[in-house]
Amino acid sequence: MIRFENVTLSYKGGAPALEGVSLEIQKGEFVFLVGPSGSGKTTFLKLLLREEVPDSGTIWVAGRDIGALSRWRVPYLRRNLGCIFQDFRLLPNKTVAENVAFALEVIGRPRSVVTNQVAQVLELVGLGQKHERMPHELSGGEQQRVAIARAFVNRPLVLLADEPTGNLDPATSQGIMKLLDRINRTGTTVIMATHDVGIVDTMRRRVLQLEHGRIVRDQARGVYGYTDEPTISGRGMRAISLLDTSGVELSAPGLPTGRMATVRARRGER
Amino acid sequence: MAVPLEYAARETVANLWRNRMMALAAVLTVAVSLSLVGTALLLRQAVSRQIGQWSDNVSLQIFMKADATPQQLGDVRTMIAQTPQITRCGYLDHEKSYEQAKQVLAGSPTAIAALTPATTPTVFKCQLQRPGDAPTVAATFNAGVPGVYQATSPSRSIHVLQQVTNVLQLILLVIAIVLLVSSLVLILNAIRMAIFARRREVGVMKLVGATNWFIRVPFMLEGLVQGLIGAIAAVVIVLLSNIGVGYLIRHYKISVFGAAVLPTHDLVMTELVVVLIGLVVGVAGSSMAVRRFLDV
Repeated sequence: MIRFENVTLSYKGGAPALEGVSLEIQKGEFVFLVGPSGSGKTTFLKLLLREEVPDSGTIWVAGRDIGALSRWRVPYLRRNLGCIFQDFRLLPNKTVAENVAFALEVIGRPRSVVTNQVAQVLELVGLGQKHERMPHELSGGEQQRVAIARAFVNRPLVLLADEPTGNLDPATSQGIMKLLDRINRTGTTVIMATHDVGIVDTMRRRVLQLEHGRIVRDQARGVYGYTDEPTISGRGMRAISLLDTSGVELSAPGLPTGRMATVRARRGER
Repeated sequence: MAVPLEYAARETVANLWRNRMMALAAVLTVAVSLSLVGTALLLRQAVSRQIGQWSDNVSLQIFMKADATPQQLGDVRTMIAQTPQITRCGYLDHEKSYEQAKQVLAGSPTAIAALTPATTPTVFKCQLQRPGDAPTVAATFNAGVPGVYQATSPSRSIHVLQQVTNVLQLILLVIAIVLLVSSLVLILNAIRMAIFARRREVGVMKLVGATNWFIRVPFMLEGLVQGLIGAIAAVVIVLLSNIGVGYLIRHYKISVFGAAVLPTHDLVMTELVVVLIGLVVGVAGSSMAVRRFLDV
């Protein structure tokens, strides 16, 4: 289904974001991508979407070398890849149903198909009653469900998830994971970048751990397996203050809370 | 590749409405500049019809008698060839001369009716090395050469008219080009704002695999529509002013300018050119915006 052959990519003037990555992911697999911020998880997903092209190495998706795709074919590749993000990326001026329908309309599906599929997929994600709501009227978990519905409505081969539970509380996250698991059982490959220790440890699926752009662990039925250190340099974070030994407060004035690493502070350490 | 027409139309209208002030500015600039282009083109045609017989640097016309014999014609040709001041001569036979007469006399239908090809004098149209010599050369042909009806040179006023028209036309065209460039920039900016207003949609479209043309077309159409509306406004302005001028000429019987009333054919061609320029400006502006600001 997906094969990376010795893939290397450096962003302009920096250290390689991915270096010598080779791996294979079978159809129907559920794969967690873990690793600290900046280890290359998002780059990995961008390469699959062909938002980036590797400096060297080859990436195969569904039997095609996607580096060799001509520009006008890239959209057709993306129709096989559903995508969800930490920040949902819904269109605020469209209703739930319109948001999902939009994904089908812009790839030219006829209206009858659109109406049908949208109703079906909203039922699947458990939003059958909320077709006409606007995104801002929904909870974070519900918004992520809409995003999943939009990513899945075209029945992609692969679902890519970039920290889909990053903005959600643990209970809500669990609901989202159940949904992703259900989608996975329909035969859809799911690749999920995450920092959520609890989720990875309870799901016990294949875990790929990245560090400095290299794969340092590829474990079937794996666990999160390492402790994130509190990082001050993490993306979107301006300041971190440890208030007391029992809790950690991350504050980012003027910025949405983003990409918070799971922080474990041991008693006595500041 | 196929972009559903209904979708594109809906998006275009929505974009135009959301951005209506920018769109209005772009449309008005296109309208004003194209009105100037249209006026300049019509002015040139009207003047060249009016003084049509003196166009192409012709500064001497030798009219033959309608019943001049081939022998006389040959003699005049020889005489022309032996006149050093004449650089080049063209000869209009009965048919061509009749066509030209119809143009010159467009303002007075009765005069045209009185003419037939056979009774229209044939004419030599000559260019001189120095146009100032025209009266002298004309005098030699008017000195009783057999078969020659009359040799004429343009009056001073025609020279002045020609020069004034040229300058006026140049000024109009320069202003029109400056305005066309600014309307191009205005359209480009309008499309850029439309793209910016819809960046979320564009992001989602790219993500779910909408084709590049599907994403581009509504924006390109928006520019095209702005150019087109501006051009149509210009066409209306030019038509109305043409009708106004025609009315003035007839009402005050300024028959000297009779030939300045343009036939429908010329008018339609000019208006087509104006519309075409409008479309080109619209498409060029929006393509530049799409190329630079829409990263697909």
